[in-house]
Amino acid sequence: MPDQSRRRSDPRAPGERTVDIAAIDHIADELLPALIAKLGATNLGEIEIREGDWRLRLRRPASGTTNYGRRSSDRASRSQPGHEGHGHAPAALESHRGASATAPTNGADAPSMAAVGPGRSAEGRTDGSDDRSVATSPAVGVFQPAATAVAGARVQSGDRLGVVEVLGVPHEVLAPADGVVAATLVEGGHAVEYGQELVRIDLATSEATA
Amino acid sequence: MISKVLIANRGEIALRILRACRSLGLDAVVAYSEADRDSLPVQLADEAICIGPADAKRSYLSTPAVISAAVVTGCDAIHPGYGFLSEDEGFAEVVRAHDLTFIGPSPEVLDRFASKEATRRLLGEHGLPTIPGSRGMLRDDQHALDEADRIGYPVLIKPSAGGGGKGMRMVRTSRELESAIKICRSEARAAFGDDSLYLEKWLEDNRHIEVQVAVDSFGNGVHLFERDCSVQRRHQKILEESPAPSLSPAARTQLCETAVRAVVAAGYENVGTLEFLVDANGDAYFIEINCRIQVEHPVTEMLTGVDLVATQIRLAAGQPLDLRQADIVARGHVIEFRINAEDPEHDFRPGAGIVSAYHAPGGPGVRMDSHLYDGYEVPPYYDSLLGKLIVWGPDRQTAIARSRVALDELVVDGLTTNVAIHRALLQNEAFLEGQMTTNLLDRVGSAAFLAAATRASG
Repeated sequence: MPDQSRRRSDPRAPGERTVDIAAIDHIADELLPALIAKLGATNLGEIEIREGDWRLRLRRPASGTTNYGRRSSDRASRSQPGHEGHGHAPAALESHRGASATAPTNGADAPSMAAVGPGRSAEGRTDGSDDRSVATSPAVGVFQPAATAVAGARVQSGDRLGVVEVLGVPHEVLAPADGVVAATLVEGGHAVEYGQELVRIDLATSEATA
Repeated sequence: MISKVLIANRGEIALRILRACRSLGLDAVVAYSEADRDSLPVQLADEAICIGPADAKRSYLSTPAVISAAVVTGCDAIHPGYGFLSEDEGFAEVVRAHDLTFIGPSPEVLDRFASKEATRRLLGEHGLPTIPGSRGMLRDDQHALDEADRIGYPVLIKPSAGGGGKGMRMVRTSRELESAIKICRSEARAAFGDDSLYLEKWLEDNRHIEVQVAVDSFGNGVHLFERDCSVQRRHQKILEESPAPSLSPAARTQLCETAVRAVVAAGYENVGTLEFLVDANGDAYFIEINCRIQVEHPVTEMLTGVDLVATQIRLAAGQPLDLRQADIVARGHVIEFRINAEDPEHDFRPGAGIVSAYHAPGGPGVRMDSHLYDGYEVPPYYDSLLGKLIVWGPDRQTAIARSRVALDELVVDGLTTNVAIHRALLQNEAFLEGQMTTNLLDRVGSAAFLAAATRASG
């Protein structure tokens, strides 16, 4: 699911795009088949490689060694009580190893293959009112907010609000709606769990977007 | 050294591991999927972390999610429980690469015992009688037909990966074999992502008996006696007990001692289970090894007083075995009943929903390992195990009498469970005489079995 808003606002020169297209060809024709073979030969659920500015992650669609996971549909409609709702404070999740222990990533502006991104990254949820939306964590890891994700900043749906680093691999946190950043709920470098609320957004009113 | 354990599993086994960690003075973090946010292990944990959505592939089966959770919570070890990632050598390797301890055998050991067919050959070389079977994996239909002719019908088609009865079929003729292979291949591919199959000689009226072992990394190994798991429905165990009623004391000692000698010689480590089929003549044939803690481990814990999960953690931490064979004494008789959210009257259709009332039975020798509580909503995404009722008695007869009382006391309202099948078993003549074989339920079908028991008791 290539992200339309990213493509729209792509600031790069046509020359850079040509280089990217060549890189995509190389990835699709050479790396991907090799990676599929490698994944097939192992019991790994997921393999990721870096190639220049690109990273390519392959997930096994139907792995599993047991009869667990009989149904794979996510219960998207289930209400998600806040983390504090079940007896352990978010502070308990603070990283003991610190963000410095995670591997460096290939830069905040490195292109990533949208098709392999976490499925929830563009999702968010309204927090009980119609005028707010919250970007939630796409994975369990360490949150690094983008420099632009500060209170008052205007964002469009799909804008990158930061990343959650999973063992050093960034998973994008995307704005779930157009609006204005109300608050960043987790400081950079702190551990977050899957689904944790990260950035609250006041939705743009119809006049504001018009 | 292990000081803080990430529990990468759910349900009753997550709770069991949490209890073991606490009794060892270790900190523990329960990793859970969104569907298990309200589960008992999450509520009872000092620390819990959501690792992904309900879909197990993105939570309990996701190597990056599980390891990231361990790293950010400062754990130094991961307990995989059973199922999910528990026997995945690739996962165990990635765990070690992140300087974490995998609570189970090392990746090398898991790798050595990953293929059932290769394991059978390896342990055969170390003195275990193995069941006649195909040499290597089945390449194609012709190879399968040739091997089946050599072994002699009936044969059992088995997948190399996985468990739980998926991809398994018994066939009596070459014509059946050809069509069954196709079905088994697709079942195995869907369940395990691996469709390699092999053949085993099918023993009529066999019993399923397994030997529990514990081996440290210094080459010391002990057995903790056997469990009879013959009561199965379509290759899925539903009741386990120890001692196995069919084994004489001499046969029992010989089986257990041969098993532990062979796995130590073959380089196995940590706790494990060797499964055997025992034929009508009392001859035992090794079929496979399980490199994990098993669902039915409490049978052995109640029989011997040994905490197997704590033993598993200590062995993974590199400690020497603190048990000598002579210290391990089997006392009395134990029966375990798997309580599943399944409807025996409708082909064991699995169910989900809210447990409107739950009451665990009690009394002397009664243990209930379950993650249920009043108002708990059983999610539909995972397996149907609701808990295990384990009953000890000084002898089999007393254990059976206590089991009847305990099953009557058990309350699980709001869901259909398989308790009726357990009650029926406790009325069944073959079971009461200890004559059960793996076809006890499947021979007549569960519905007929239930009906017969109702007539007998009414």
